[in-house]
Amino acid sequence: MQNSPELTSGIRLYIAVGLLAGAVISLQITVMRIFAAGNWAHFGSFIVSIAMLGVGISSTVMCVRQPWFERHWRSVASAALLAFGPIAVGANLLAQQLPFNAIFLIADSSQKWRLAGNFVLYLLPFFTGSLFLGAVFLKTRQQFARIYFADLVGCGVCGLATLGGMWIYAPDHLILIPLMLWLLAGIAWAATMASTRLLLGLAVAAFIAWSGQTWVADRFELTRLAVSEYKGVSYAQRFPDARRVYDRATPFGHIEVYASSYLHFAPGLSDNAALNLTEMPDNAYLGLYIDGDGPIGIIRDLPAAQTAYFDYLPTALPFALKKDADVFVVQFGGGLSTASALRKDARSVTVADSNPAVLSAFRHDPTLREFTGDILTKPRVKVVAQDGRVFLSRTEQRYDVVDLSLADSAGLSNPGGFAIAEKYNYTSEAMQTYMRALKPGGILAVTLWNKEEPPKSVLRLYATLVTAAREMGEADLSRCFFVVSNYLSTATVLYQRGGFSDAQVKILKARARALSFDELQAPGKQPELQGSDGVMAAYRAQLFGRLHSSNDASLPASSLAGADDDLGAQTGDAPAIMPSVALAQAAWQALLTDQWQNFADDYVYDLHPLTNQRPYFAAYLRPVDLPRVLDRLDLLQDEWGYLLVWATLIIACCAGAILIALPAVFGWRGLLARCPGKAGTLLYFACLGAGYIMVEVVLISHFVLALSNATVSATVLITGMLVFSGFGSLCADRYLDSARRVMPLIFVAIAALLIGYGLCIDRALDFVGTLPYGWRLPSCFLLILPPAFLMGMPMPTGMTWLARLGKEQMFLWAWGVNGCMSVIGAAMVPLLATSLGLSSALVLAGLLYLVALPAFYALLRPMTAARTG
Amino acid sequence: MNRRSFLTALTATAATGVLPVTSRAALTTPFTFELEPPMDERAAFVDWMANNRGEDRGYLGQRWDRLQAMAESKDVWDEVIKRAFLLTPREEFVPKVNRSHAYDHNFLDIGFGVTISGPHLVGRMTNSLDIKRGDKVLEIGTGSGYQSSFLAHLTDQCYSIEIIKPLAERTRGVYDGLIERGYREFQNITTQNADGYYGWEEFAPFDKIIVTCGIDHVPPPLLKQLQPNGVMLVPVGPPGAQRVLKIIKDVESDGSTHIARTDIYNGRIVPFVPFKKLDGDKISGTHST
Repeated sequence: MQNSPELTSGIRLYIAVGLLAGAVISLQITVMRIFAAGNWAHFGSFIVSIAMLGVGISSTVMCVRQPWFERHWRSVASAALLAFGPIAVGANLLAQQLPFNAIFLIADSSQKWRLAGNFVLYLLPFFTGSLFLGAVFLKTRQQFARIYFADLVGCGVCGLATLGGMWIYAPDHLILIPLMLWLLAGIAWAATMASTRLLLGLAVAAFIAWSGQTWVADRFELTRLAVSEYKGVSYAQRFPDARRVYDRATPFGHIEVYASSYLHFAPGLSDNAALNLTEMPDNAYLGLYIDGDGPIGIIRDLPAAQTAYFDYLPTALPFALKKDADVFVVQFGGGLSTASALRKDARSVTVADSNPAVLSAFRHDPTLREFTGDILTKPRVKVVAQDGRVFLSRTEQRYDVVDLSLADSAGLSNPGGFAIAEKYNYTSEAMQTYMRALKPGGILAVTLWNKEEPPKSVLRLYATLVTAAREMGEADLSRCFFVVSNYLSTATVLYQRGGFSDAQVKILKARARALSFDELQAPGKQPELQGSDGVMAAYRAQLFGRLHSSNDASLPASSLAGADDDLGAQTGDAPAIMPSVALAQAAWQALLTDQWQNFADDYVYDLHPLTNQRPYFAAYLRPVDLPRVLDRLDLLQDEWGYLLVWATLIIACCAGAILIALPAVFGWRGLLARCPGKAGTLLYFACLGAGYIMVEVVLISHFVLALSNATVSATVLITGMLVFSGFGSLCADRYLDSARRVMPLIFVAIAALLIGYGLCIDRALDFVGTLPYGWRLPSCFLLILPPAFLMGMPMPTGMTWLARLGKEQMFLWAWGVNGCMSVIGAAMVPLLATSLGLSSALVLAGLLYLVALPAFYALLRPMTAARTG
Repeated sequence: MNRRSFLTALTATAATGVLPVTSRAALTTPFTFELEPPMDERAAFVDWMANNRGEDRGYLGQRWDRLQAMAESKDVWDEVIKRAFLLTPREEFVPKVNRSHAYDHNFLDIGFGVTISGPHLVGRMTNSLDIKRGDKVLEIGTGSGYQSSFLAHLTDQCYSIEIIKPLAERTRGVYDGLIERGYREFQNITTQNADGYYGWEEFAPFDKIIVTCGIDHVPPPLLKQLQPNGVMLVPVGPPGAQRVLKIIKDVESDGSTHIARTDIYNGRIVPFVPFKKLDGDKISGTHST
């Protein structure tokens, strides 16, 4: 082991490593933003997979060719560093010329190749960055804990800087942030190497990267960000008279507002409006787009005559009972609910929105203020600049109506790419908060899109609301709910504390009839349990095929003759009640008579209620049913967010297995044969890799509960976890010699903390969520500190000991295994969270750290002398 | 020329390029509502169409096979609809790059964020509409033009509105090119580039309306322009997994109007049938392959 003297210490080296590691994490965040703005989701686990695969491949290459890398480490590190910037720019530009369209992943086979092309292109910069870090790690392996400290702290701080950069750069130019960090890293590296030639090379590389992103892209008309033609904003841009009237890049999303006479909003409008109204307003709307998704309707301040159609919207239902109401709107969105409440002569309307960028646009932009009649400063309107759910949980105020209408679901144009996203506004806990915030006799009104066949989201919503009401201790649940739906449009649930009176029910029924809405549940309705078994069986057959013929493509067509019965009568009359309506009615009866479990077990989809543990309107298909639908994925277009996670996991497992196995194939019988405890070492770093990333990813989802915003949560977690782990790593340096004694305690402490967090962190976060925002951030950092600090210790301890024991090849291999298992861990979190709950990922991570404990002793076994003969 | 206009021009060129440059037999038998191509045997159909309509034998074979699969899964059931399907050259409405997939079960991208629906869905929608000759049909969202071209074999009064100007022009160009080649049935289609939300007052009322644009409610002006007892279809949901809403404007005996919602399966739930590819009379492949 001959370490370069100039590399064993020195602040410049630490700065170079920290900044380059930071540039890599910054690029990771940038690519996620690019995907979010150009597609429908940030593809979080997909991007993490690419980055970690870069680590895996570079370490595998270095492991297999270690002697060569030992000799040429200086050139490798310098070349990799110089190449990172131009490659990042080039790969991004090329990938943007080769956009893939997730909608056609199943329908169009060429999309798979485009996706693979994107994967390979984005892999290149991460591979390059990892090559630099790997070369440096290899040369500084005796001091790994310190260099790892620099790596982690650099990642954390640069992650924060990238978030700040989102105020300055829209996603198409956000790559300039990782480029700047790379440039600074290069300067620090040139200073470390004391090389002017390197500095010169850096200047050339920087020139290439910068001019590529700016001049070359302009000159050759290369798009820097290919926004899918199927995104809402793309449609708005194609309207002949479209004008962008607001445009602001923020960490809370790229906010754009378009004006066009072609925009029309009346979500869930009753068809009867056409029979009774003389006019619909013209030129009355703007479309709000966040990261290109939308439109969310913004309505002009209209005279009363032109808003008569509000009476035909499902949001108007509670106002049939409530006059002079104090109203709370859980999510402001574009203001339709607020405008509707104001028209209904609400005494006061309190509106909440957790997206400060949206509220800021409505409060400060002159165009929006004029268009909406300055809706947020109207005397009857009060604005709460935080999550409505969080505000209601700590306010003493009580309301006549709490409105949660089509929040988070602009998705007119959403082609079904529902990413797996936390919907804490819709959980049973949130519903109880809304219910508690009602005055006696107050009404909670929840409206959701009802466009799925077989229905799924609405059934989860019904189950969630009834669970919440039961927790509230309602004596007679059946009197508390009045539920209507409009076929393939919307469903609205009204809940009244203490139950509806007969007179109120009469009014609501009359209103529902006037709107031609289907009545799903009303107090006093006689149960008519009919036909849901048949509908259930039919839905199963619709997805899985008939039992005798499912998955059997070898059957002759004639065997399907029996299907004629179901398919025939094409022109006959439709039934009086549509099957999905009959099913929803049966679902309500099951919910109100404790028959729900049987109903849910029989249903074609998973219908568990939303809780803070499983806050998802996603993953309806039970994992056990997945193999049965592989030949008909086109029926599941709206589940591709979930299916993509499965695909990522499978690809990650295959790629990981290959990368982990390669060094073994090349070296197991050679040098590696002299390294005892190989299996244990492998297990050790596999557990750390999977465990660490699982904690990080799952806590990002958890902390949204307290921080109300996914971007802020991701930043707090990435920064907090990495910086605190960095300090843990530095601290580990002191305990290296007593690792055998100290590490068991560390592992047990980590496992205890993670399992403990798994059991009660949502309660802690719920409490933190009630604090003022200024207190929430430090509280969250404080919560992250203990596990993150301790989790920073095992990795450098293990790596340094490998180096001390002379297991050089194991050293790189371990780093690669850690990277590969990170990919698998990241992909596993959403699958665990949707099927078992968020805590399960924390508990599993805790168990992995426990498994790592005995494996640590295998790692410590000394090298055996080379045997001959 | 900026990138957008370059791409638009490129797409338009590709679209006009849908007219194959290779020499093609002439269309010698123009369309009439009485035209009856052979419908009981594949080879006879292909021969007749190739000889009388000058179409490519490969596509004709695929068209025949697709129809058999659609008939098998009951996506079409009336003979007149089957005939209309067989007479409609779907490949002409699919961009060149995707043309080899024109008769696949899938929906396809046609640019501008618009898809051409799978043949099974167009077949099912068209058959559900129960169009009689002389019916006035309005389509909101011309898109590829395939739906209206199908309808043009059933009635001589098709009106179609497209909001996206370059797409409207491109599809108009496809119709005009086909008309020039002798497909005079496409003269039954009147197109316009406008906002379909307000319908087409000039030609209202309509017997049937198809709305294929994404909107969060059924536009009241369209319901107003629907004839009493008229039918409107509105596909809802993601491409490929769409449900098609069927709206019927019932007029009761007392003169009151009632709007009923059902779907194109008339409230029936159709079991998944794990076959789709027919190679002649044999099944060769599963649903998605």
